[in-house]
Amino acid sequence: MILQRIFALILLAVCAVLAVMAWPYQAAFSYEPVGPRAFPLLMLGLMGLALLCLAIRPTPIVHKEDEPPLDRPTLIKIAICTGLLILFAATFESLGFIVSAVLIGVPMARLYGGRWLHSAMVVVAMSVLLYWLFDRVMDVPLPLGLLDVLEN
Amino acid sequence: MDTLGYLSQGFGVALSPYNLVTALCGTLIGTVVGLLPGLGPINGVALLIPIAFALGLPPESALILLAAVYLGCEYGGRISSILLNIPGEASTVMTTLDGYPMARQGLAGVALSLSAWSSFIGAFIATCGMVLFAPLLAKWAIAFGPAEYFVLMVFAIVCLGGMAGDKPLKTFIAALIGLFLSAVGIDANSGVYRFTGDSVHMADGIQFVVLVLGLFSISEILLLLEKTHHGHQAVKATGRMLFNFKEAASVFAVNIRCGLLGFIMGVLPGAGATLASAVAYMTEKKIAGTSGKFGEGDARGLAAPETAIGASCCGALVPMLTLGVPGSGTTAVMIGALTLYNITPGPMLFEQQPDIVWGLIASLFIANIMLVILNIPMIRIFTRILAVPNWALVPVIAIITAIGVYAVHATTFDLFLMIGIGIMGYILRKLDFPLSPILLGFILGGLMEQNLRRALSISNGELGILWSSSISMSVWGLTIFMLCLPLLRSWRRRSQQRRSIADA
Repeated sequence: MILQRIFALILLAVCAVLAVMAWPYQAAFSYEPVGPRAFPLLMLGLMGLALLCLAIRPTPIVHKEDEPPLDRPTLIKIAICTGLLILFAATFESLGFIVSAVLIGVPMARLYGGRWLHSAMVVVAMSVLLYWLFDRVMDVPLPLGLLDVLEN
Repeated sequence: MDTLGYLSQGFGVALSPYNLVTALCGTLIGTVVGLLPGLGPINGVALLIPIAFALGLPPESALILLAAVYLGCEYGGRISSILLNIPGEASTVMTTLDGYPMARQGLAGVALSLSAWSSFIGAFIATCGMVLFAPLLAKWAIAFGPAEYFVLMVFAIVCLGGMAGDKPLKTFIAALIGLFLSAVGIDANSGVYRFTGDSVHMADGIQFVVLVLGLFSISEILLLLEKTHHGHQAVKATGRMLFNFKEAASVFAVNIRCGLLGFIMGVLPGAGATLASAVAYMTEKKIAGTSGKFGEGDARGLAAPETAIGASCCGALVPMLTLGVPGSGTTAVMIGALTLYNITPGPMLFEQQPDIVWGLIASLFIANIMLVILNIPMIRIFTRILAVPNWALVPVIAIITAIGVYAVHATTFDLFLMIGIGIMGYILRKLDFPLSPILLGFILGGLMEQNLRRALSISNGELGILWSSSISMSVWGLTIFMLCLPLLRSWRRRSQQRRSIADA
């Protein structure tokens, strides 16, 4: 309940900031009566109203049966996983697809309970396979990065 | 009789060898994607959009591929719900109720093929409905002006909340988030940059694929972290693989009833497969009365939700194709795919590109037949896929998702954006917000704003145009009814509670 109230209030604040951002949006000259700011402001306004309702009277969260409660270890895991994903995005072009995929894939597999050797084998094989499949067969260009030297 | 001519033309398109192979690949990929935890029809279809584009598929083949993947995913979800008792997504919850007990009784193969058959009949009924009504609706929709369109979209959004049942407020908020996100980027009418934060990458707005994959794949990856189980023991599919005539005949009446019901529910925006399957199951349970063994492996309890799902999936294509207004998450993704090809779905699509529309309708038929046939030889392989443990699966999902996003614009900015959206999606999910309204809002947002501005330009800023015609007035009426529906429902629930307290 309290989490939901906090969330609604944070989102409400975000809405307010965005509305302030949207206020100066005006076309330099325009032939139509409705400018570029009307629609976003309308949406933000409605969202604000709905969020206020939610903050005042939060609806109970229905937990599914197989959903374990969030505890500290899970939260740490989620933080690590997010970190790995961000690292993936950051190294995607500089290190190249295969290297960065292996770099984050192995720890990620460990996070989900795989053994070192198994994870390494699966992830290395899959990243090379996917690179070949997408870059060579399906014409989706992927960066080679560090492995650039291997080409030609 | 024009329609029949068009339909045969559509079959001509769908039966060309190239498109047949496309449909076969689509059903196979879709089934595997639907089987795996963490991937459902929405991200399966979304992942394939950039790939279909990169492969240079012509639009009708791309659409056939996506439709085949969609149906395949539904089928894959069925396998995991029947053999594992784990519904792949919300709409298959009802399938587990009787499907799993049937599998436990050694009728796994029968249950699977019967469900595929039921879904085929549902899709068949819905396709017939589509052939009958879609051209009429399209003809009628040509009379729609921008004001009517705007009101129609308001109705679609409100319908989402009205049909959502237990959490209308959260559904509205989710839809509004989507509507707002669609406004990010350069404004086409005036050239003003909105909410871009002076970033070049945002000028184009948020890419649809980035939003979908962030919301559904990344949040699912994070969600899977909580569940620590390693693979599941599936019920072995042995013995008879195909249902016999008697079994098919015993559920035939159920199929017809639920097919009609599913079609109607599918056409209504916001209702969709989840509601259709639940209503179908409950209705059939009531009709069967004491003679049924619902919940203990009654074939009718399996056929009812499956027929309804099959019918509503095809029914959902009616508003998408005729009005350009999607009614479900997956049809929203398909509209996103069509926009990539610069095709705007709407009443004119039937006249200008009959190949695409009727080819798609015909390929739905074909993909459904393929699924029934595939079931027999492939089921053992499919069940083995269910045993893949999460630790091998999740990194691969993450990598493929990143490829899908990177394929759109080839910038790493989109990857960061996807992760950001994914974290947001995870938080929203934990707080019990539904995610597919965000998608619908995102797709409808652009159209809604354009139509609103166009309408007000026509009337020179006079708001009265929004309720001047009889069409828009009646749609407003329906909208108000939908708005009142959740209130009515909660009021009735409360009065029921009061009565039960008084009885006690």
